[in-house]
Amino acid sequence: MLDARVVKARAPFTVDVLLRVARGASCGLFGASGAGKSTILACIAGAETPDGGTIELDGRRLYPPAIPLHERSLGYLTQDAALFPHLRVGENIRFGLPPPQRRLRSVWIDELVERLELGALWNASVRAISGGQARRVALARMLAPRPPLVLLDEPFTGLDRHLVRELLAAIVAWQRELGFTLVVVDHDADILARLAPRVVAIEAGRTVQDGAWDDIRTHPATPLLERLLAPL
Amino acid sequence: MLLWRAATVLFAIVLLYPLAGLLVPVGAWRWGGSATLDAVRVSLVLTAIAMIVVVAVGTPMALFVARATARERLAWQAILLVSVLVPPLALGILITLAFGPHALGAYLDRVGLKMTNTPFAFVVTQVYVSIGYYILGAIAALDAVPTGLAVQAGLLGADRWSTFWRVTFPLARLGFTVALSLAWVRALTEFGAVVVTAYYPAGMPVAIWTGLENFGLPAVMPLLVVFLLTALPLPWLAHVFAQRRIARA
Repeated sequence: MLDARVVKARAPFTVDVLLRVARGASCGLFGASGAGKSTILACIAGAETPDGGTIELDGRRLYPPAIPLHERSLGYLTQDAALFPHLRVGENIRFGLPPPQRRLRSVWIDELVERLELGALWNASVRAISGGQARRVALARMLAPRPPLVLLDEPFTGLDRHLVRELLAAIVAWQRELGFTLVVVDHDADILARLAPRVVAIEAGRTVQDGAWDDIRTHPATPLLERLLAPL
Repeated sequence: MLLWRAATVLFAIVLLYPLAGLLVPVGAWRWGGSATLDAVRVSLVLTAIAMIVVVAVGTPMALFVARATARERLAWQAILLVSVLVPPLALGILITLAFGPHALGAYLDRVGLKMTNTPFAFVVTQVYVSIGYYILGAIAALDAVPTGLAVQAGLLGADRWSTFWRVTFPLARLGFTVALSLAWVRALTEFGAVVVTAYYPAGMPVAIWTGLENFGLPAVMPLLVVFLLTALPLPWLAHVFAQRRIARA
């Protein structure tokens, strides 16, 4: 279970959000750009240090004090695939595996590679692959160590709808299979709805609504939410 | 554009023109014998020792400064710049005074370390003149590695040490080499500070100067060539490779 209260000062407001997600469940964070959604995820991941609050994952305290990144046991994917440019695709995917497994292709790695259609790229330099391929490699790399918590911060931005549909289907299937807890941020309501039945709506660093998608769509709590959910 | 290119070629010729001095007839070159060899050995061995100290001390310092907060980083970089900007002759005099018998030298003497005209003084001076260049270069190399990569490496289970060896260092390697090559050439060619703190044992710069004073150009030309060959290629190659990497990226 993810049990977090994230407090982080940032201009022009302070993010202060309570987030509880049951083990193996999914939760979406929805809101306008700059509402503080990514800050919440970055604080949970450890990429940023909160100014207050507490973060616990399955009874283990991540903050305070901020424990080192390598002890957090979570996957964090953003718009920036952040692949290691000096390593090949296969080496990137196996980076997070313990040393004995790093040299072998396990059934699980084969499944990731096959489903994400990375087989032909296994020995390719990551400098030579496209943005969409890089995002798939980053997803495979993140899931390879089977993290108990997965944080997705708009990882589908800029990808074509066909690829996004495939990636969404793969993530949903793997969540069912691996049972990881999922917290996802996206400005696209359709993507969030596909990944998470429950949504926390954030405005200026505060929770303004927490509930099922259908409730939020039909009864948005604020005028801004209503505008964000309105069709183009 | 053509005129511009021609002007640049002319500039390059003017820039490299001093090297033509090697071809100017100055009389038959005379190899100075064992004294010349000693100068080469002193310079290469003691500079190598100084570089080991520079890398061993400078690398952790560079990592610390690169990861410090913006304000702290400014303060550290200002301190490093002082070490880079102090004129060498002034630095030599200051080192002699600060490590002299009326200051730290009294304590160093007790453990057998003399700070005047000894290999120890030579190495300490070289470290002082070069470590700032190395650390500032290493910080720039570390800055060129996106922080998101270290975050991902950490979340994938790599501790700080492992992240450095598996991600940061391989990507910053060339920058570290450039920084080290700058420190190497700075230390190897140092004259102003070393001539004050360690006239003996004479390294190449001091040997060239004394040879020129006492025996004239023919006596120093062979050592001058060795001096150029030991000072130029490493930084030159490091920079060429760095530029190639940048051009390919």
